[in-house]
Amino acid sequence: MLSVKGLRANVGDQEILKGLDLEVGPGEVHAIMGPNGSGKSTLSHVLAGREGYRVTAGSVTFVGQDLLALEPEERARLGLFLAFQYPVELPGVNNTAFLKAALNSLRKARGEPELDAVAFLRLIKDKLRVLHLDESLLKRPVNVGFSGGEKKRNEIFQMALLEPRLAILDETDSGLDIDALRGVAEGINALRAPERSMILVTHYQRLLDYIQPDYVHVLAQGRIIRSGGKELALELEEKGYGWIDAELAA
Amino acid sequence: MNAPLAQGLEHWLPAPDAGPDWLKERRQQARACLSAQALPHSKQEAWRYTSLKGLLEQRFRAIDALPSVVRREDLAAVLIPGLDAHRVVLVNGRFAPELSALDELPDGARVGGLRDWLGRDPESLRDRLDAVRGESNAYFALLNTAGLDDGLVVWLGAGVRLERPLELIQLSVGLDEPRVAQPRHLVQLEAGAQATLIERYVGLGASPYCTNAVIEVALGRAARLRHERLQMEGHNAFHLAGVYVVQDADSHYAGLHIGLGARWARTELNTRFRGEHAEAVLQGLYLAGDGQLLDYHLDIEHAVPHCRSAEGFKGLLIGQGRAVFDGRVLVAKGAQGSDAAMSNRNLILSEQAEIDTKPQLEIQADDVRCSHGTTVGQLEPELLFYLRSRGIDAAQAQRMLCLGFAGEIIDQLGSEAVRGQVAAVIEQRLDEGSGSGASDDGAFEPAPDVSRRT
Repeated sequence: MLSVKGLRANVGDQEILKGLDLEVGPGEVHAIMGPNGSGKSTLSHVLAGREGYRVTAGSVTFVGQDLLALEPEERARLGLFLAFQYPVELPGVNNTAFLKAALNSLRKARGEPELDAVAFLRLIKDKLRVLHLDESLLKRPVNVGFSGGEKKRNEIFQMALLEPRLAILDETDSGLDIDALRGVAEGINALRAPERSMILVTHYQRLLDYIQPDYVHVLAQGRIIRSGGKELALELEEKGYGWIDAELAA
Repeated sequence: MNAPLAQGLEHWLPAPDAGPDWLKERRQQARACLSAQALPHSKQEAWRYTSLKGLLEQRFRAIDALPSVVRREDLAAVLIPGLDAHRVVLVNGRFAPELSALDELPDGARVGGLRDWLGRDPESLRDRLDAVRGESNAYFALLNTAGLDDGLVVWLGAGVRLERPLELIQLSVGLDEPRVAQPRHLVQLEAGAQATLIERYVGLGASPYCTNAVIEVALGRAARLRHERLQMEGHNAFHLAGVYVVQDADSHYAGLHIGLGARWARTELNTRFRGEHAEAVLQGLYLAGDGQLLDYHLDIEHAVPHCRSAEGFKGLLIGQGRAVFDGRVLVAKGAQGSDAAMSNRNLILSEQAEIDTKPQLEIQADDVRCSHGTTVGQLEPELLFYLRSRGIDAAQAQRMLCLGFAGEIIDQLGSEAVRGQVAAVIEQRLDEGSGSGASDDGAFEPAPDVSRRT
């Protein structure tokens, strides 16, 4: 599904990703953990196609295509989804109109007919119910005046609607209290499917109490320095990130 | 007799000089003021960013005999579907009763053409007409007075409420020569009266024409007027407008200005409080593209204590569009407890576009709350990226964000039908990228069985 090989990327003159390798198969859930500044968010952004990053080496293949050659919207249409760490507010942009434009652009790319207003409303109301979200959300401008938890849940709601092949969840747990975290995690678990892969990017282990990953990777100084099963997350929780510095220094 | 006006502006005045003697005198006085004044020039603060050159080159002339070429079927093209309103139509500045629909007005409401009114009941207008404009020396408002001839008169008696909006359609038909129309409107709401006025400017055909309109609004004690002005003139048109509002105590004026059309549109908004606890809220939205200059000048005068004014204008600039926002709030000595806030926010979508914005507060009282602010910016890349990351292409993402920016003002329009129309025009203009959007179909072609009225 996703194959990252030797990826190097700069922000300005500074190299953030220094030869990163990652293979994600269909239906797999990978957790990428690492301390602040290790390159977690850079990886998410480079995969989604955000401006401001320069890839200097390596390749990224997604469902057989050269991902880095594509515009952000083309990546989304191939089935890539990024749940933002800091979802932006879009003043004046109605949530329903936004969701409809997004879904229809994806459907069009897949060769499916656009949904009419009635069918669309029925669909989003179903999805809202599954995620225990209030319908009033639809009438508001995208993320404007939403609490931190509401913004994160709105990301998961979009993911539920857009049904990506690969979802990258960037620090989805940050800023959430335990109840909000549980709600968001439930939403994510409900979306696990044999054909849907996920990358959970997180600093803390606590999200993984609710979402069990198949693989855990430790990202440090722009490279994945260790990979393992879910028990690796527990080890990190126990030892913190301090040992990494020691290991890298060695 | 006065000397002829400079630069052929003499031809803006219709002949003959009709109406009651007091009106002839008033025109004469305005003419005398004009003769004594120089044409506006760029050394004057209010004209710093604009030149009259393009306007004067057109050699506009007043319409002496109005061709009544617009039929009901033609009007259909400019109506807003779904807008339920009392309707007054002016064609090239002249009241067109056959196109208007005024038969369902409530008791205590009188609405009609100025020229008809002057013929029937001139005395009722003697102290009102031109009284709100007052001593303003604004050149084009004076020119309008010197050529004062026809327009709309609205009078609502004390406590009268118009449940449906009153729509004023000012339709300009492109004629074989460049013509100017100078309508004068008078809106008087007595104490406690309430109304919504939707004032629209539209053009048919692509020939150049000019509108130089003056509207005077007098609000009695606790009267409330919602005044929506939709400037959607043809793309070769020149639009000059002076809006003069005077407010008695406890009155409320909500002005909403949508500026989308014309090659050059200059709108001068003047609001004066003459009773305490009155309130004026002026909002605006303009979209300027290639070859367009949209020019706003606000003059808000807090002459008495405890009034509130709020002005919020937003601009979208695309292609080689230009706009000017020149806002001034004066809080006079003794106008304690005044509350004034002015803002102007602009979104520039092209490197060739230009905005000159200059809000000013002039405060002569000491116990006041005043603020002003402007922003000029581009679309934030993070917002565009967010939309694109959801599969929405860059052009649509940009359009959605622009409409979102404009939406804050559009949403203030009172009627769903009008909101839809304005949003659709803006969306279309953004789609086209830069142009002013009107189709280039030459002069308006009347239907074959043309009737002419003189």
